Amino acid sequence: MRAPFSTALAIAFGLVVLLGYFIPAPCDPANPGLSCTFLGIRVVLLDWGATLAGVAMLVGIVNLALVHWRKVRASGKERDLLSAVFLLAFLITLAAGLWFTPADVRFQRAVLGIQTPVEISLMALLVVTLAYASLRLLQRRSGLMAVSFVISALVFLLLMSGLSGLFQQVPLLREPVNVINRLPLAGARGILLGIALGSLTAGLRILLGADRPYSG
Amino acid sequence: MMQGDLIWTLVGFILTLLVFSYLFGDNVLFRLAVYVFVGVTSGYVVVLLVDQVLVPRLVTPLMQGSIEQRLLLVIPLILSILLVTKLFPRLAAFGNLSLGVMVGIGAAVIVGGALQGTLASQITAAVTDFNLQSGVLKGRDPVLKLIEALILLVGTISTLVYFQFGATAKPNQPPRRPRWVEMLAGMGQIFIGITLGSLFAGVFAAALTALIDRLDFITLVIYDILF
Repeated sequence: MRAPFSTALAIAFGLVVLLGYFIPAPCDPANPGLSCTFLGIRVVLLDWGATLAGVAMLVGIVNLALVHWRKVRASGKERDLLSAVFLLAFLITLAAGLWFTPADVRFQRAVLGIQTPVEISLMALLVVTLAYASLRLLQRRSGLMAVSFVISALVFLLLMSGLSGLFQQVPLLREPVNVINRLPLAGARGILLGIALGSLTAGLRILLGADRPYSG
Repeated sequence: MMQGDLIWTLVGFILTLLVFSYLFGDNVLFRLAVYVFVGVTSGYVVVLLVDQVLVPRLVTPLMQGSIEQRLLLVIPLILSILLVTKLFPRLAAFGNLSLGVMVGIGAAVIVGGALQGTLASQITAAVTDFNLQSGVLKGRDPVLKLIEALILLVGTISTLVYFQFGATAKPNQPPRRPRWVEMLAGMGQIFIGITLGSLFAGVFAAALTALIDRLDFITLVIYDILF
């Protein structure tokens, strides 16, 4: 059996948290019963989970920095001087953030001064890449989904350009436009239900010990 | 323009040009902007994690909390230390215990969230669509409302069927899905295409707005510098 201790911990902690969903939430502090105790344990476990998730993220970022540090120190083709730029930006932000605290207006302004233009510019670049990708879609794949995708994209772009509001003024067109606007809900609902069913299966497989993504 | 404003405007201007250099293909200037962005964001996330998670949840209660609080934090403290061993390949196996706890709690939250947050709410919404009374109250034609609800239901079911890839194999024939499943899956493809098309239109419109904003920003900065 692979990783028996980790599996036992995962199942035990997971089941306690999961059972908490099926126990009625309101508990009377003046008359604490079993449900109050169970709810208290669940809150503590969730709190531990949040702390561990934070530490895991920290470990991930430190690992990223270490990978870049190795790339700076490597020789030959492995060497990447841009990694030094990453490390510099990382360390300066970290030092400034710890010194000034993240609530400091100057620190926030400096971070946003770099994040905002890059984020908006990357978003703007999407116009070119999306237009190019959609043009190539019909060349590469022509099927029911591709055709309905392109027609839907064109129709919704036209509606978003202001036509929707204009059509709402015409009584004869109001209902058909409403139906068209709600049509994407069907697919979205199906996709959401599919994701939920997939998550449910994956979660239950972990809680039953069939999948052990922590045993590596 | 104040000096601080000027500096950040120029930084924004340079970063925008560096990112836009990607239009000529992947190059060093684009990567420079991305490395700076990832570096700053990573540093910011670490600062936030220390300030919002580690200090209030672990450090402060351990330093200033009651005996009960301190005892309760011994386990997450040990699990956190074990998680840090993942950074060292030789000791990484010790971190599996912490990962097990995290994955177990995460799986339970995902199962609960999927049940209550998505499955229950989406099924309720699909049923509520057939409440013709609410449509009448909003001045909508009940027949049209019923047709719309039926289309949405068929769309939802056919989309789900599209992702059903189970097939039965017959001797000397490749495995195929039953004919009715194939038909429903075909309809599902149309509905998925419509949904993805509308999402594409939304993202494209947002990206276009961002492009206009950036071009306006570049023009304004050049105008300010020249005049």
